Amino acid sequence: MKILQMELRRMMKTRLTWGLLALALLLSALLAYLPVTYCYSSYTDEEGNEIHLSGLKSIAHEKERQANASGIVTPERVREAVETYQACLAAYGVTESYDLPEGVYEREILPIVPLLHGVKEAFADPDTGMAPALMEIDPERIDDYDSVCEARIAALMALEQPDHPAVQRKAAEMYRQVERPFKVYPGMSSVIMDYQNIMGFLVLLFCVVIAAPVFSADYQSGADDILRCTRHGRRRLGVAKVLAALLVSGVSFVLCAAVYILIADSLFGWECLRTSVQMMYSIVTLADLDVGGLQFLFTAAGLLSVLASVSFTLFLSAGCKSTVASLSSALVFGILPVVVSMAVPGALSTWLCCVLPASGTSIQASILYAITDFQFLNLGGLAVWTPYAMIGTCVVEIPLFSFLAVWSYCGHAGK
Amino acid sequence: MELVIDKVSMRFKDKKAVSNISLKLTPGVWRLLGANVAGKTTLMRIIAGILKPTSGQVLYDGVPIRTLGEEYRALFGYLPQEFGFPQEFTVKDYLIYVAALKGMTKRQGRKRIHELLEQVSLLEVRNRKIARLSGGMKRRVGIAQALLNDPEVLVLDEPTGGLDPGERVRFRNLLSEFVHDRIVLISTHIVPDVEYIAGCHAMIREGKLLASGTTEELVRLVEGKVWTCTVPAQAVAEYERRLRIVSLRNEHDGSVSVRYLAKKPCNDHSAAAVSRLEDLYLWMFPQSGGADRKKSSRKQAVSGNL
Repeated sequence: MKILQMELRRMMKTRLTWGLLALALLLSALLAYLPVTYCYSSYTDEEGNEIHLSGLKSIAHEKERQANASGIVTPERVREAVETYQACLAAYGVTESYDLPEGVYEREILPIVPLLHGVKEAFADPDTGMAPALMEIDPERIDDYDSVCEARIAALMALEQPDHPAVQRKAAEMYRQVERPFKVYPGMSSVIMDYQNIMGFLVLLFCVVIAAPVFSADYQSGADDILRCTRHGRRRLGVAKVLAALLVSGVSFVLCAAVYILIADSLFGWECLRTSVQMMYSIVTLADLDVGGLQFLFTAAGLLSVLASVSFTLFLSAGCKSTVASLSSALVFGILPVVVSMAVPGALSTWLCCVLPASGTSIQASILYAITDFQFLNLGGLAVWTPYAMIGTCVVEIPLFSFLAVWSYCGHAGK
Repeated sequence: MELVIDKVSMRFKDKKAVSNISLKLTPGVWRLLGANVAGKTTLMRIIAGILKPTSGQVLYDGVPIRTLGEEYRALFGYLPQEFGFPQEFTVKDYLIYVAALKGMTKRQGRKRIHELLEQVSLLEVRNRKIARLSGGMKRRVGIAQALLNDPEVLVLDEPTGGLDPGERVRFRNLLSEFVHDRIVLISTHIVPDVEYIAGCHAMIREGKLLASGTTEELVRLVEGKVWTCTVPAQAVAEYERRLRIVSLRNEHDGSVSVRYLAKKPCNDHSAAAVSRLEDLYLWMFPQSGGADRKKSSRKQAVSGNL
């Protein structure tokens, strides 16, 4: 315990740690506010003036306009919204909402938009996956909305995983477990989650930079020769170094995530967290979560990914003789999931992204996108949903790489 | 208490750094002598447990140090030849950190740190970052950390490198106070640093142990091989070419007094001299010490400084 305290003090004394942690907190706050600046809306007031709103005013305006849509998304309410939509467009003799006269969309359609989310997707062609226009949908079919959605997930999985019936069965089973009817509380978009992803990715890189020199800096400076000749300078010091790095990284990530969530949710409204993920992402998303649950799960999985990446970085650090080598190799592994998701095709990419420790918060390949996607790992006859695989891998990797780091440090032969 | 180096060999890829060395170290100051690249540092790192020998083992009181592990390190102190410090530490913080790693309590640590800082004259700079200290000061911090836990086995690899003459005297005095009932192994090229306190010596060359024993035992090896004679100043160059010169001294009459090593006297007026440790070193390591020594001796002799 005493050695851990000393190691924590040592780590917190370095300017690099402080600088990066301060920067991470600042970026978290900035990234949480950034989506607000993209919010824009306009409407025509009673006197015929066109009013343009941006930022928080725009969010407040849209929330006010869509207040009646919030709540439980029953098939009746969806049907009513579709009928309103179709009647409005028919009244103006158009087939697309953007052809409506000025001000009509804001007045007639905007208030029901949250309820229309996912309707077109639910009625997509089972063979081609092409979604129809809202005008083409028979409102009567919405009465059995749940069955339509279940048929949709079955058709989607048959299209995406034609050779894996186990995956198709598993996806259908998962979707049946999703709590319905869905709920929607307008005001928040998936951009908030995207920015949380960016925040997590940056904090992960910062943590990797902090952890990379933990062992290698002492090797490089020659300080290690003295330390490893002390009574507790082998296993205990190795364990203390690993724990200190994991603690600093973990606390940093949690702090940054807390700052991000507090700011973002305060700006967009805490009630939005009760929205079902199906009303923010695909209507057939397999996760039985609301947005608050998704935020929490993504944070927890991000934390695991950061800890797994840091323990892997420590393992690299314990094996490298210079900080440049440990830092560069750790950064390569930190960025690798991004490259893999872009450059490696098919199942190999899915497998690699599940195995690489930094995948959890990686851009494009993070657990957030895995939760809202329909990827499965096929292990013989077993179908494993990728978020489970990613979380499971991290849970295994944290103790594994921590142990390997200590083992490598203890066995390190000097220069 | 004894530290036994038992048939220790160390190979790095294609190079054998230490070759089958066996040596029993008993309490007292041992000096490890050898030219550069003789394998001294490698041997010390093996004794410190940093390197695992290719073959052989080091035993403390009959138990392999690898088996003792933590127990051995608890009574061990080590100052490497080249070492660094974590950049973020002040002198005091670093010593507190090392004291914790050495298993000392906070109270023990603080008391011992204060004593040592006083002894190595670093009390005034205790709150200064180590990175901002001079080379000599850093080495004194290194010495202080090695002595923190009052080790029973102390290994110092070139401890006086970078110290000025005053600091070297203080180091010698500090070591003299410390050595009682302990095994101290020192590697240094600077003979006077440990001449008076090192009772035993081990000489290694190219990784092999050439000789070991007390000063008297070893000096006896060059008995009858140390000679002095007086030669004209203009003949010095010729003597330097032919002989293994230990020292030159300008005399008042313009002649030069030469101390040299040879199995037989080189002329009729040479007289046998009492052998010293320095003679032994040059006898054992003619290439390494001789060439440098010749140049410096000649310079000093010519300028009349000797």
